Amino acid sequence: MSRFIGRFFGEGVRPRYEFGEFFHQCFVIGYKSLPLIGLTAFIIGLVLTMQLHPTMVYYGIEAQIPAMVGIAIIREIGPIVTSLIFAGKIGSSIGAELGSMKVTEQIDAMEVSGTNPFKYLVVTRTLAAMLTLPFLVIIADAISLYGSFLGVNIYENLSFHLFYEKILDYLFFIDIVPAFIKTFFFGFAIGIIGCFKGYYSNKGTEGVGRSANSAVVVSSVAIFILDLIAVQITDLL
Amino acid sequence: MKNQNAESVRLGIFVLCGLFLLILTLYFIGKNRGMFTDSFELKTRFRAVNGLMSGNNVRYSGIEIGAVESVVFLNDTSIEVTMNIQTKMRDIIRRNAVASLGTDGLIGNRVVNLFPGKGQAPVAKAGDLLPSKEEVSTDAMLQTLSRTNDNIAVIAEDLRLTVRHISTSAQLTRLLDDLSLSTNLKASLIHLHETTEQTSTLMSEVTRTFAKATQSEGTLATLFTDTSMAGQIKQTLYNIQTVEENAARLVQNLDQVISSVDKDLNQREGTIGALLKDTTITESLRHTLSNVEESTNALKLNMEALKHNFLFRGYFKRMEKRKKQ
Repeated sequence: MSRFIGRFFGEGVRPRYEFGEFFHQCFVIGYKSLPLIGLTAFIIGLVLTMQLHPTMVYYGIEAQIPAMVGIAIIREIGPIVTSLIFAGKIGSSIGAELGSMKVTEQIDAMEVSGTNPFKYLVVTRTLAAMLTLPFLVIIADAISLYGSFLGVNIYENLSFHLFYEKILDYLFFIDIVPAFIKTFFFGFAIGIIGCFKGYYSNKGTEGVGRSANSAVVVSSVAIFILDLIAVQITDLL
Repeated sequence: MKNQNAESVRLGIFVLCGLFLLILTLYFIGKNRGMFTDSFELKTRFRAVNGLMSGNNVRYSGIEIGAVESVVFLNDTSIEVTMNIQTKMRDIIRRNAVASLGTDGLIGNRVVNLFPGKGQAPVAKAGDLLPSKEEVSTDAMLQTLSRTNDNIAVIAEDLRLTVRHISTSAQLTRLLDDLSLSTNLKASLIHLHETTEQTSTLMSEVTRTFAKATQSEGTLATLFTDTSMAGQIKQTLYNIQTVEENAARLVQNLDQVISSVDKDLNQREGTIGALLKDTTITESLRHTLSNVEESTNALKLNMEALKHNFLFRGYFKRMEKRKKQ
């Protein structure tokens, strides 16, 4: 795996760059994931607010719901949930796609035809996953907070302006910047693990399924481990 | 090719949306922390900041005017807090404004609250050190509360004894059972009410009279308003005092004389003592007076005879004529 990662960086910085495939993968991996992630984020924001509301009312601090939901979503829930869904959708997709290409010897054919399959398949997909996931997380955070706003308004009348003012009152750069940076690592982990599992898939069609499955499982675990490390580093700041 | 263009456009929109949201969020956070507004620094010092950190809000009379720039130790008992204050507040914050630590809500973020100080002070300039007021800690509050509880327990015990004493008091029971008490009390209150009304009327009358007296040009008004009269009155009082002192001395002298006379009387010395106490002199004096009376009667007869004498008759007739005229 470490050799695979090393090769990624080696091939990534070396010309010729596959811009066309890279943008296509950005579209497929990033843009096409938006509806699923947006819907999930909206539901998460709404449900989180509705679940929090009774407890916050019990303690008489329902006015703090926007701040609490805002910090929770931006610091942790947004990046983690988005990354997990992204891993489920994209990790499996990459694993299955590269796995099937492997078992059908398309990758070998690319090598024979003079195309660098690693650069074309792995670098573009991994970079696309790494660069589009942060944007997905930001958009998902915004959608999720809107869901939370609607959730608050189920119980009481709160203006949109006041809702965001309350969130911003409690947000610092230290909340948003590390959360944004760590999503690059999450995206990288999802892309590289999916590619690795697919690229080294074997045992026919059964191996394709296994590659897709293990790509999701391993990348999900990797997300949590990376998140743990990110939190430790953030706490040091 | 068309598909590729559509893909690119959608991807571009997607990326731009993400970037826009990111920049917007960072901008609003920065704006909330006063990063995009002109500001000047003010400082204050606390013994303990209780979790205050860089970026926390600064409020002036409850309105957000800036953010905490830094929190640094000066020494083991003093922490300096540097605040970025919006420049538009420069003319409002005075040097005697007092800084204190607070919390945004019950469990919210720490904030620095600035309140206007008492009296006049020049406008605060960049770098000025504002006076601070230490926050009342929860421990101190609990200690005070504990003392208050002890005091309340003592008061409650005293109150219990007092109530028991009242409830077992036969005199008080009799007093409470006395039906005439309420009638008398009511009558007393009515009288009190009437008296109060009369007093009020009287006071109004006195006030009016006094006002009238001071506004007129009579003696009373002069007495109240003429400041030179105070000097005259003072002089008069001084004179009265002098007279009083003289009178006292006179009375003292008289007392001495009376004592002397009394002494003479008691010891039968001196003329008065002899006159009043010596019986022989009294008898002799009575005899002398009898002789004087007889002589006076004889003199009266002689004078009458003289009036009828031919030598003096003319003189007396002229005297009578003058009286008649």
